[in-house]
Amino acid sequence: MSATPGAFLRVGAIIIAAVILQLSGLGPMRIFGGHPDLVALAVAAVAIYAGSVTGAATGFAAGFVLDLAVGATMGVSSLVLTAVGYAVGRYREARDPAHGLMAIPVGAAATVGFLAAFASVSFMLDIGASVSPLVLRDMLVTTLLNTLLAIPVFALCRRVLRPVLLVDPFDRRRRRKAPIDSGPLGLRGLEV
Amino acid sequence: MFDSKVVRRRRAALAIFVTLSIVMLTAYFGESRGGLFHTLQRGAQEAFAPIETGTDRALKPFRDFFGWFGDTRAAKGENEDLRKEVEDLRKRVAESSTVEQDARQLRGLVDLERSDGFPDGTEPVAARVIARSPTVWYSSIKIDKGSSDGIREDQPVIAAGGLAGKVSSVTQGTAEVTLITDASSAVSAQIMPDGATGIVKPEVGKPQDLLLEFVQRGRRVTEGTTVVTSGFTSDRVESLFPRGVAIGRVSRVDIDEIERYQRVHIKPFAEIRGIDIVEVLTQKGEPQEAAGVAAP
Repeated sequence: MSATPGAFLRVGAIIIAAVILQLSGLGPMRIFGGHPDLVALAVAAVAIYAGSVTGAATGFAAGFVLDLAVGATMGVSSLVLTAVGYAVGRYREARDPAHGLMAIPVGAAATVGFLAAFASVSFMLDIGASVSPLVLRDMLVTTLLNTLLAIPVFALCRRVLRPVLLVDPFDRRRRRKAPIDSGPLGLRGLEV
Repeated sequence: MFDSKVVRRRRAALAIFVTLSIVMLTAYFGESRGGLFHTLQRGAQEAFAPIETGTDRALKPFRDFFGWFGDTRAAKGENEDLRKEVEDLRKRVAESSTVEQDARQLRGLVDLERSDGFPDGTEPVAARVIARSPTVWYSSIKIDKGSSDGIREDQPVIAAGGLAGKVSSVTQGTAEVTLITDASSAVSAQIMPDGATGIVKPEVGKPQDLLLEFVQRGRRVTEGTTVVTSGFTSDRVESLFPRGVAIGRVSRVDIDEIERYQRVHIKPFAEIRGIDIVEVLTQKGEPQEAAGVAAP
């Protein structure tokens, strides 16, 4: 992604929208004991389209805004979301995924990574209270809900980021699908 | 495959962001409530508050729609329990009427002051919840009343019949409430009428089950008894809550043969996960400009 003011503005808008929707819209919504986590999905979406460095920067900024807005310990969300953004971005750079349903496994993996890492950091910070096994149920429900939300969230983020993207994985996919010219005998591989 | 310069730049970016996060974490733990990050948080909360209020109201119909499915399922089970409870309560009302009459006569005789269950010297300020913490590790809510309504840090907050938490930070128009289900929460409490005391702590991820810890094994705790704040103060633990605020009802008692203390499970009276409106118990005489609840 090109580092232009427009790019910063678009990523910033995604972060702010995700945090506000998360806190006032999706956070209070209890579905089977859990709720979707839009911020982790938004960070994963930016990282998959813009790469590891932008992913890490987006994760850091999203975590910073989230901790500011929630009043939680500063740095925890930033640390975890930086790792999530970087990991998803590296996956894109190393594997170059271009499948139309790529958002589903990427969204699910990013959510699991975020929840597990957040829990680990919270444990390391010595929360001073016992932990119920129901936390695992909440994590599972959040992952399932995020998996359902992944396609629309990724599509929306792609639409917002598209004008500032240097390479769009989906465009590449379309180019790949173009019919291959056949050779003189009508067989592939015998082109002259 | 990649230019070594690109790889170095990528790793440097990751290292910078991770280092910044750790520095922020360390600084946050080290600073006081008036420190840079705490001040930044208060400023951000003030700035976000109007947007969050608007978003909260705009998205309420959607939340209610999704909540309807879960509520219907839960209501079926709850209905049975409530029927039994109503029968039980009817019996208790009859019994308590007699007891109340006796108590009134005794009060007149011995001139004994009795608590009516609500702390004196407090002025409740109703407020609407405008944002909630998205994780189970930090259980907090943001309300639409702040210092201009007489709200100050560490004031107790109640919701739908029981203790909900305490005010942890205040801006002019909003306040952050740390709920009793937050991992950092600890409330000194007393079981009524037994009188046994302990510390109410949460079990992360299980908001409907609080734990009353450090209750001595010698004190017999029975299921169904009510737990209230004790207003206890000592060198190590200081209760910020006034005496007599209802917390919940004893649902189970675990007696470990090895442990010196028993663990008492409490079902809180306040529906912590579904709070929409709360009351902050402010001190009487504090400045109070607008204490009404905004229309839904």
